Amino acid sequence: MKRFLAVTLGILTAIGGFVDIGDLVANSETGARFGMRLAWVVVVGVIGICLYAEMSGRVAAVSGRPVFDLVRERLGARVALANLAGSYLVTLLTLSAEIGGVALAIELATSVHYLLWVPIAAFVLWVVLWKVKFEPMERVFGLAGLALVVFVVALIALDPPWAQLGQQVTSPVPPATEDWGTYGFFAVALFAAAMTPYEVFFFSSGGVEEKWTSRDLAISRVNVFVGFPLGGVLSLAVMGCAAVVYEPLQAQVDTLGQTALPVAMALGKLGLVVVILGFFAATFGAALETGLSAGYTVAQYFGWQWGKLVRPRQAARFHTVVLISVLLGVALLLTTADPIAITEYSLVFSAVALPLTYLPILIVANDRDYLGDEVNSPLTNVLGVTYLVIILVAAIAAVPLMILTGMGS
Amino acid sequence: MTNEVLRVDFDLLDRQIVDLDGHPVGKVDDVEFGTTADGRPFVAAILVGHHALGERIGGRLGRWMAAVARRLHTTGDPQPLRIPFERVAEIGSAIRLDVRHELLNTPALELWLRDNVIGRIPGASDAGQ
Repeated sequence: MKRFLAVTLGILTAIGGFVDIGDLVANSETGARFGMRLAWVVVVGVIGICLYAEMSGRVAAVSGRPVFDLVRERLGARVALANLAGSYLVTLLTLSAEIGGVALAIELATSVHYLLWVPIAAFVLWVVLWKVKFEPMERVFGLAGLALVVFVVALIALDPPWAQLGQQVTSPVPPATEDWGTYGFFAVALFAAAMTPYEVFFFSSGGVEEKWTSRDLAISRVNVFVGFPLGGVLSLAVMGCAAVVYEPLQAQVDTLGQTALPVAMALGKLGLVVVILGFFAATFGAALETGLSAGYTVAQYFGWQWGKLVRPRQAARFHTVVLISVLLGVALLLTTADPIAITEYSLVFSAVALPLTYLPILIVANDRDYLGDEVNSPLTNVLGVTYLVIILVAAIAAVPLMILTGMGS
Repeated sequence: MTNEVLRVDFDLLDRQIVDLDGHPVGKVDDVEFGTTADGRPFVAAILVGHHALGERIGGRLGRWMAAVARRLHTTGDPQPLRIPFERVAEIGSAIRLDVRHELLNTPALELWLRDNVIGRIPGASDAGQ
């Protein structure tokens, strides 16, 4: 019974923790402009993150080595340093976007301008990172993130023309109002939102922090293979709500309030309360993950003591990097750069950085020195290589599409 | 280890070093060779230090990293942490030493940040989580 509870709790945490500011922004923007015609990208992205999260979790459990250890061992100190610079900057940009998301969620609830909330949100974030234990931190925000299920309820309550939505899902071409350039740009953004690199940094480092062993493999797999796809359903519901409300009006979504509006229309004030809570939990939880991931990447490249298992003074360099990263994230927001724009840029650059993260995982997941008999099966390798090709295409296409379409506008 | 031959580039360099209890000590940033009486080379020690890493990487990037490491060092003349190869107990997914990390010199940057930044924040000495 206790084990059953642990598994259920893990799955629920994975569902609630799946969605972050990138998913919220990319899915609602896409729904408003393309209906459900890009829904397939979310499915492709979710399968990809399941595949690679499982691999990184397996490597962490069997060998005790997190992802960025492998990056340096397998790519060499020089290439890994370039990788570190890229991964750190992308994670920092994502951290900034998540803090902005927290502040925007509080603005929705209080009508007080988000910039006033940014320093407060960042301070509370840092205190949680400093004081709160790893597991409760993960649980509380993951479970609260489940409030986003309200998007599924709202979509059903809106009573959309299901046949029309279904038709859009099965016709993966741009609508008459859009061209292939913007279609490709949003496809890359959605894909990057599902496969953001920090997710595997965090997942594998968390596995090492929680001292996973081969015996924990089954639980980790269930969390990934059940939790992430259900999290993907939440993403699709966000897209669906925007598709139903905004696509017929040809209205664009460019604020977090517009992302929430369909829920308020369908479920009234109570729905709005729940959706704001969901936004807050999802972005705050992701801010914690990205803040830690920023520290993980640097500390693991240089081999420093990292993580929350030791006293902070025993991991002084790690905690300094985390602290500086939060401050840099705040500084970027305080230039009054639009958090939604920061999110969009973080998605584009995530797409560029994807191969740097996922190639070393695939290589090590085949190394018997690390994994013994737990190396990839041939099927996993076929899927892994297929995804690496997709990842590479997305990475190469990201910046040209961004320039060509002017951020998809 | 599945193979008999130890390859310095593949099995040693850039691997994580952990102490007896699994605490991270650093990476194998460089390796020191010695020669036996009959002239055969052997691995004498593994070296840990951002300065040593920068010098090994070389080029503009490496010089820049070594310069930053020198700048961040309190004495301005950083020496890498030298761990004699005899202290290596096991080479696997990490390189495990047969000593505790307390017995090794703590890197200067860690010490400085501990004393001047992180150690001054309330709760820095609270038990690990």
